[in-house]
Amino acid sequence: MRQKVKLSKIFTISALASGLLLAGCGDDGDDGKDGKDGVAGEVGQSVVVSTTSGFAITEDAIFVAPDAVDGDDITEALSLALFDLSEDALVVLPKGRFVVTESIVVNSARGLTLSGHGINETILDFSTSNGDDAFRFQGGNGITVRDLGVYEAPKNGIKTTNVNGIHITYTATVWEGDLEANNGAYGLYPLKSQNVLMENNYAFGSADAGIYVGQSENIVVRNNTAKQNVAGIEIENSTMADVYNNIAVGNSGGILVFDLPGLDKAYGGNVRVFNNQAYNNNADNVGAGVVGMVPPGTGVLVLATSDVEIYNNQITDNETTAAAITSYLLVDDDVSSYAANYGATIANGWSPTLKNVYLHNNTIARNGANPRGALLAPVIGGYTSGMNSSGMAQTFPAILYGGIGELLSNTGTLGAFNGIVGPDAAADGVNYDPYGPGDLICANSNINGNAAPDYENVNTGLVYPTNPADLTLVDGDGNPQPHLLIDRMVNNTYLNCVQPRLAPAEVNFRNTIYGCTGDDLAEAACAL
Amino acid sequence: MKNKKITTAAILATSFFLTACGGSGSGGDDSEGGTPPPAGSALNAGAGSPTGAEGSCGATTTGVNWDALMTEICPKLSDYNLFADATDPTTAPARGGVPYDLSTALFSDYTSKYRFIFVPEGKTISYNASEVLEFPVGTVITKTFALPENTAVRDGEELVIETRLLIHRSDGWFALPYYWSSDSDAVLAIAGKRLTDLTTINNQGQQITFDYSVPKAGDCSSCHSIVPNLSGSGDDREQIFLPIGPKARYLNKDYAYADGTVYNQLQFMAEGELLTGLPFDLQTVEKAPVFNDQVPVASLAPSQLDDAARAYLDINCAHCHRADLTLPTDYAGPAGSSGVQLEYNRDYADSPGKFGVCKTPVAGGKDGYPFDVIPGNAAESYLLFRMTTDDNRHKMPELARNTAHLEGTALIRSWIDQLPVASCSPVP
Repeated sequence: MRQKVKLSKIFTISALASGLLLAGCGDDGDDGKDGKDGVAGEVGQSVVVSTTSGFAITEDAIFVAPDAVDGDDITEALSLALFDLSEDALVVLPKGRFVVTESIVVNSARGLTLSGHGINETILDFSTSNGDDAFRFQGGNGITVRDLGVYEAPKNGIKTTNVNGIHITYTATVWEGDLEANNGAYGLYPLKSQNVLMENNYAFGSADAGIYVGQSENIVVRNNTAKQNVAGIEIENSTMADVYNNIAVGNSGGILVFDLPGLDKAYGGNVRVFNNQAYNNNADNVGAGVVGMVPPGTGVLVLATSDVEIYNNQITDNETTAAAITSYLLVDDDVSSYAANYGATIANGWSPTLKNVYLHNNTIARNGANPRGALLAPVIGGYTSGMNSSGMAQTFPAILYGGIGELLSNTGTLGAFNGIVGPDAAADGVNYDPYGPGDLICANSNINGNAAPDYENVNTGLVYPTNPADLTLVDGDGNPQPHLLIDRMVNNTYLNCVQPRLAPAEVNFRNTIYGCTGDDLAEAACAL
Repeated sequence: MKNKKITTAAILATSFFLTACGGSGSGGDDSEGGTPPPAGSALNAGAGSPTGAEGSCGATTTGVNWDALMTEICPKLSDYNLFADATDPTTAPARGGVPYDLSTALFSDYTSKYRFIFVPEGKTISYNASEVLEFPVGTVITKTFALPENTAVRDGEELVIETRLLIHRSDGWFALPYYWSSDSDAVLAIAGKRLTDLTTINNQGQQITFDYSVPKAGDCSSCHSIVPNLSGSGDDREQIFLPIGPKARYLNKDYAYADGTVYNQLQFMAEGELLTGLPFDLQTVEKAPVFNDQVPVASLAPSQLDDAARAYLDINCAHCHRADLTLPTDYAGPAGSSGVQLEYNRDYADSPGKFGVCKTPVAGGKDGYPFDVIPGNAAESYLLFRMTTDDNRHKMPELARNTAHLEGTALIRSWIDQLPVASCSPVP
């Protein structure tokens, strides 16, 4: 661990040089403890003020630009305060709306708490920033960001990479106005991190994902609101994640669970999405890349991630579908090029297919009113005309399963990929064998929330049959063609199976356990 | 701007730099260097070394102020006494300082860079075949950035902007940026500095204008680090700060030293008892090609083009975009999590996707650029767009570039256009 050198000296020098706005940095800052966990500070530290969320700011805090007034540029003070921090530092931003003109990068911080005075009380405006991300935390552990708002970042809002222990709470990332392609990318963006706790946050206006956790492990995302982003909440190539008690509203896609090819952490899994509200996710998709393909009007989307459980959510008023479950073959159906384009990532365990996705006890109502999105255009065309298994125009399925990955596994077409899968991934169960009972995509006990006469219009659809024996439509080369199977969601014949429940995620942050097995033991959602 | 310092390049140095540019082309032969350096006395003999005591920025030292470097964050660059003339960080290092340059360098808004390595007396650098050389504790690397009035005349008038220090302390590397706020000294710039409307004449004779960013001290780790792939809930490993440029493959070229000696840099340091472990046969040492703004991309043979492009991507991108290969186990570059890895040593044929070929952008993306790299279609390749644009949402590298590098992007454009056809390539 690197020793901390003469912090006070830097401040003195810089303050002399520029007369900047910084005060209150203690002489050594090494005495450590503060009220960082949202409870009162340690004995001996008197509380100066509390944030709107009740977090106690103690007198030993480093107060950045305490005398700044609305509109002041606090970039320099902020940069100085966050350079070469002592362990367990509490850095406090002033109350008001301030300008920041550069990216703020924080390295290897240990036990840092960066706090404003409240999610609406401390606003940092990056609209004139010359940098890209608003904040980037690289390395470090036990970092808390809280009680502030980051507005109009040129690229990402708050990015954390390779942090063990990141807690973001009562924090907003906002791009004001309409959802436009040139709004920023990710809002709250932990990447390659361990022990990720995201709670009580607000993400608005991202042209990618409002709250995004990527290539991380041991994740709890709860009590957040993601509004009017392309993707509301996205869990990507991540393992052991619980997403609960959130609201995803007005996005193009509400809650997404993705495994994308080619990433260092090749695949995720054991993701539980429960007791969330995903409604009115009908914004036009202004995004790019894979997320730009998400059909507007999607409540929940699982793409190529195995071992996902989606339950007891309220998924309503999404105009395309409540829940889509699909292999990566929907995004790229050129199976013959997979070995060339994805060989390395397939070796590392990424798979275009998905297995063991279980949807149950969700309340599903009023979805599918206006299905759209280029990715699904032919599927939509079939279901909304008579060109589906029922022979009649139907309300677009509320639960839509692609099925092609399972079908091609069951026919043995993808079996050759087994030769590419590396030993570690194979040992972890990655294979392209025919699906066994534990691999199946299941949906049962979901609740039809439509009122009559629309009660009859909540459907489950399979684009392809999963049993090769049911394959009746093939092209001239023998390739399967979409069958567009459809049935009522309740008491249906499709996806009628049960899977074991997944294990809860657990976040160890500063030696306290968070999540359903930790501080939320008594939370009702955790008993579902 | 009043805070500018015009340094007339030392007349003595002029011809050497011309020699370096002209004479060290792709073929710089190692065996036919000039006079070897004096034997028997190490290059850093008499340089002094840290005493282990707490330093003082105000100390008067005959040579480098080692103790201050080891323990202090000094307000002025001159406090460290690294240069014979405290007002000129581009030449005449204090005893122990050795100049060097790189065959292919990071593009930094067309600035010229003056680099010196200072190794304490009695210490040596250890050779590493693929990673950065292993510098002993006490080492200081200085890099001074100066914007020439005309990029085609690197020995002409220039604006000295900043000097960055990489200091190898007992607890790891530490970086400090100094900004030349006056002709007389550079001041510590923890919070960085933004200079607006700098201009230069580029190699095509056009005047270009852009802002220039002196990075904040906190920015240094964005590039200068390798990060652990945290492998579980209890994995507390930290990122490791490292220099980037002084790798064998970039140093393995001739350099024109101030006394007129033209000599392979690695050999110079080895024979000067500064570098140990250099293979006896220099032919076995990895060598990246020379690429600079004078190299005519259009006339490069395919293999030269590929080699130059791979070196350019390595030095400009792979400090972040790297994973595995010759790194310590379970470490990666800061963008190791990205799907794109661009190391010089990576086997292209093994995994074109790692170079972005037919890869859909994950974080980011832009309409009209469906894949990172589309062999045969550079114009719609997102990677090239990111190297070209000044839009902070998309531009790469994230730091140090505020204007496009015409020569570098021309190189990468040609490289993408001649890559083997892939599934996303345009149908002929």
